[in-house]
Amino acid sequence: MGSGKFTALNGIDLLFVAGEFTGIIGPSGSGKTTLLNIIGTLDVPSEGKAVILGKSVGNLSPGESAALRKSQLGFIFQTYNLFQVYTVFENVEFPLLLQGIETSKRKQMVLDALEWVGLTEKIGSRPAQLSGGESQRVAIARAMVKRPAIVLADEPTANLDATNSHHILQTMEKLNRELHTTFIFATHDEKVIGYVRRKIFLLDGKVSKDEIIVKN
Amino acid sequence: MLVFKLALRNLLGAGLRTWLNVIVLSFSFVIIIWTKGILEGWDRQARADMIKWEIAAGQYWHKDYDPYDPLTLNDSHGTIPDGLITNNNSASIVPVLITQGTLYPMGRMLPVIIRGIEPQQNLLALPTIKLKETDGDVPAIIGSAMAESTKLREGDYVTLRWRDKNGTFDATEIRIAGIFETNVPTVDVGQIWLPIEKLREMMLLPEEATILITGTDFSNAPALDQWIYKNQKSLLSDIEKIIKSKGAVGIIIWGIMLMMAMLAIFDTQVLSIFRRQKEIGTYVALGMTRGQVVKLFTIEGATHSVLAAIAGAVYGIPLLATQAVKGISIPISSSDFGIAMAERLYPVYSLGLIAGTILIVLMVTTVVSYWPSRKIAKLNPTEALRGRIQ
Repeated sequence: MGSGKFTALNGIDLLFVAGEFTGIIGPSGSGKTTLLNIIGTLDVPSEGKAVILGKSVGNLSPGESAALRKSQLGFIFQTYNLFQVYTVFENVEFPLLLQGIETSKRKQMVLDALEWVGLTEKIGSRPAQLSGGESQRVAIARAMVKRPAIVLADEPTANLDATNSHHILQTMEKLNRELHTTFIFATHDEKVIGYVRRKIFLLDGKVSKDEIIVKN
Repeated sequence: MLVFKLALRNLLGAGLRTWLNVIVLSFSFVIIIWTKGILEGWDRQARADMIKWEIAAGQYWHKDYDPYDPLTLNDSHGTIPDGLITNNNSASIVPVLITQGTLYPMGRMLPVIIRGIEPQQNLLALPTIKLKETDGDVPAIIGSAMAESTKLREGDYVTLRWRDKNGTFDATEIRIAGIFETNVPTVDVGQIWLPIEKLREMMLLPEEATILITGTDFSNAPALDQWIYKNQKSLLSDIEKIIKSKGAVGIIIWGIMLMMAMLAIFDTQVLSIFRRQKEIGTYVALGMTRGQVVKLFTIEGATHSVLAAIAGAVYGIPLLATQAVKGISIPISSSDFGIAMAERLYPVYSLGLIAGTILIVLMVTTVVSYWPSRKIAKLNPTEALRGRIQ
């Protein structure tokens, strides 16, 4: 804390290709979340340039960046960030409401998304009635329901046990494979690292290693 | 439209928290309207009672008469102008002779205003028919407040002393022929009513009067020498002033009630923004602009008052309507309370009062909801997502 200037990221030069399943890996304070926030247009770089889906983050107006997030970006958070007063259906429906999609189409898209994550039987439940794994699956459905180009997941398994973590990761891997959605994780969880096909290691705001894993 | 839909969804989803706020706010609605309705009803009743018991359609006052200066009473009397009687208006004119006197109830001495009035009159609600003389004694009627303070009851005899036009003191025994209930203290407290002919005889002032109460409006009648016409409006001006000052008290009560209601909304909003930071961050992450989130929270706050108006209407309309028809029983008599108040008060709830109150509460609620919500526009979404206090 204090008035001193803190550099979260320094000299980052990365290119993400559509359909990647990438992990940004590093210890706490290495700049993972900051990088994810910049990609998600929730933050802007103080220097340099970040281009997301052909648009420079620094040049976007608040309305333009909101529109980009609304249509092309999905978020999955460590603490799920579900709306507690909404049902599972309403939580997943929310991004579609923002897009103004008509009711019948919206309903079908929500049901499809819940089917991807295997939660159709919990449609009327509220987040308080769900387990951690179920909550994160609802969060994945909410991120995926609008078929975004990129899903950004910040420590998605940090609050889950091993079984649930694997379940979640398998679900996301399946969606990545079937829908060709780009997944970018910020994590230091070994379980996540085991699933990603590209590992970007961050240390003190700099990329220390960027490796592509070839899986059979 | 989307923001309205989301606001309603959030409010209904919040369940008990929303309904508690709505119920508190609806109480404020009903109490504000109820208080204003009582004051309005009280005002109307006061005006109506003044006209019924004291003013009638208007009054001619002797040019020297000043009701606030008893010393003028000795000189403020004159004969009734011929013009008034020959105009065939005698039936709608009731002369009243007014003088000072002293009453001696149970050995005490009490200064009083003696008013002589025609027993047959029917312009005022006073039961003057009881002033018809019987067996040569002097009948008098007094109000219940006067009876209470003098401990006089119907049938009691009491000594009354007065000074005639020559300044000679005289006294006689009068009989309390009747006690009337009224909400108008100016015909009750410190007043004693006698038959006018008897008082004229006592005062040595035949055919004279101090004021002439009229049954029709004489505003356009030609001016009379020695007499000044006061129409209903000018005679009600004093009570209008009292009502106006009471209105200020009403506004203060109204303001306090409104402030209490708004405090509940403001508190809810501040708490919401504090507690729902993660939610705010999530809204932004999912594609809402900060402006939309501000609008969402403002509408959420303001919707409380819409729901409160509906909830208030559900129980308030039957409650207030019943009161308006049946009235409210006031347990304290006017003499004990010190101001004119009927035993049964009929509140008046005008459409303007109800619509105005709802509109003002809605507008103030919207402002009070917007005020703390502006903070959202300054929130850093990445910090909000982490739920960090900013």
